[in-house]
Amino acid sequence: MSTKPSSAVFNYRKINALAAYTLAISAFAFLLLPIYWLVVTSFKPIEALFVVPPEMWPHEFTFKNYVNQFDTRLIQLFQNSLIVSGAAAILSTFAGSLCAYAISRFYFRFKSALLLFFLASMAFPVPMLMITMYSTFNQLGILDTYWALILGNTAMGLPLSVWLMTNFIDQIPTDMEEAALLDGASPFAVLMHIVLPMVRPGLAASGIFVFVTSWNELLMGLTFVSSLEVRTLPAGITLAFLGEFEGDWSEMMALAVMVTLPVFLLFMVMQKSILKGMTAGALK
Amino acid sequence: MLYRVKKDPWFFAVLVLPAALVVGFLILYPVLNGIYLSFTDASPLRQGAHKFVGFENYTYLFEDEVYYASIFNTSYIVFVSSALAVIMGFLIALLLHFGVKRFAPLFRALVFQVWVVPWICITILWGWMFNKEYGLVNYLMTASGITESNMDILFHETGAQWVMIAGFTWRSIPFLMVIALAGLQSISTEIIEASELDGARFLNRIGHIIIPMIRNVLMVALLLDSVRFFQEMTLPLLLTQGGPINATMVLSLFTYQLAFENWDFALASAAGTIWLLFLISIAWLVLRYGIRKEHV
Repeated sequence: MSTKPSSAVFNYRKINALAAYTLAISAFAFLLLPIYWLVVTSFKPIEALFVVPPEMWPHEFTFKNYVNQFDTRLIQLFQNSLIVSGAAAILSTFAGSLCAYAISRFYFRFKSALLLFFLASMAFPVPMLMITMYSTFNQLGILDTYWALILGNTAMGLPLSVWLMTNFIDQIPTDMEEAALLDGASPFAVLMHIVLPMVRPGLAASGIFVFVTSWNELLMGLTFVSSLEVRTLPAGITLAFLGEFEGDWSEMMALAVMVTLPVFLLFMVMQKSILKGMTAGALK
Repeated sequence: MLYRVKKDPWFFAVLVLPAALVVGFLILYPVLNGIYLSFTDASPLRQGAHKFVGFENYTYLFEDEVYYASIFNTSYIVFVSSALAVIMGFLIALLLHFGVKRFAPLFRALVFQVWVVPWICITILWGWMFNKEYGLVNYLMTASGITESNMDILFHETGAQWVMIAGFTWRSIPFLMVIALAGLQSISTEIIEASELDGARFLNRIGHIIIPMIRNVLMVALLLDSVRFFQEMTLPLLLTQGGPINATMVLSLFTYQLAFENWDFALASAAGTIWLLFLISIAWLVLRYGIRKEHV
């Protein structure tokens, strides 16, 4: 091998590169094929769905599937999901970053046990937690209101917020805070004006994570609320799919595209800080 | 450390209070209360206070075939999809890092988006793609000669399980790929170059240098992902309702149905408690034997 002429080495490299590109493109196509199929189907007229072989590229584009969805019910579902996910994201990030600051900057015993508990709590069986949540919310009289879902989703998101924010705050050197404290600034002022502005990418990552998981959440949406005024998108789609659905797949696909789009865009815009938060946590 | 609890007790209390309230009332208390309820006959349908019944719920569960099926199915589906996802995620990360480095960020950015597609959308899409007459999967499988004629995959025991595995794997490959890629990027190029100079072949380099270096990262990511899979039940709830013949009955669906369809809080709590113990022992095994401690 070592006596190979240089031109052969060159070719060998070229073939390698070609193979790598081919493999990468096939992996890419394989992973994105379902998304492609989702989007393409949502633009097909319903008659074009029930053909063999399936149309890989639609002969006729239509926006009808989207336009047909726009009734007051869908707008209500979207609005509910936005309120619930947005509020949960804000509450969880707020409580999570305060707690993370305490974990990062205070000396106290059982700190690693506390972090381990937060990590482990992501594994607690959700249906089991929901039993007691249901009873608690029932006693508080907030079943079938936004609050049941907001509190439930905040609780589910909080461990992740604490973890993410602890990672982000740990990366900031304490010099500036020490200097400000020596200058007589109050701890609150230090937190508000020095620390929080520096971890803005972390706050964004935490907020988006909780928003996305709450947007995705189905079980609490099905269980804690029953009226359309507070029902979330996943619960609404589930009830429609199990109930009145009669095989109009292209409209279902259009609905799925519309549900995915908000989180998709959010994620795309903020991918940098999300990646940073995720990899920082995992590589520790 | 910047602060001490003894010196700034009020500041500490204010920082911790919101999180402590949420965690205390909505996570810690529900877990402990759940364990307690599993020894009672609690149900919202029953009038009056619940009474203590000892291990009755547990003995009942251990005589229930469906419960055994759900434990087995969950382990099988989660294990196969985690293994597939970690292998494929790692291979794609290798390919990106060593093969097409220039396009790695673009590739990663596009593929990572798969990770946010809501489960409800995957479920609907899967229902259509695995449709018997007009589904894309059936068409591709028949056209390529894998199957002779179209199958009703969702009503076939093994088929339905693989529909779930496909969903889990597809959604988590991007996550594991991102983690593996970050792990690869954290290995210094000097180590790789030194091994190249030593004449280590590509496969040897992967086996002896790269995998040992990012093994812990992958293990932790794998554990996080499996834990998420344990909770996920949108696919079986909508597409198969646990069928056919309980082939896709998973622990989460089983527990949820006990609690909020049969309203048997006590039995569901027992199922949840066993689920928790089961997960804890798996996590312990992974952390004990899967993570290599560094001897520096």
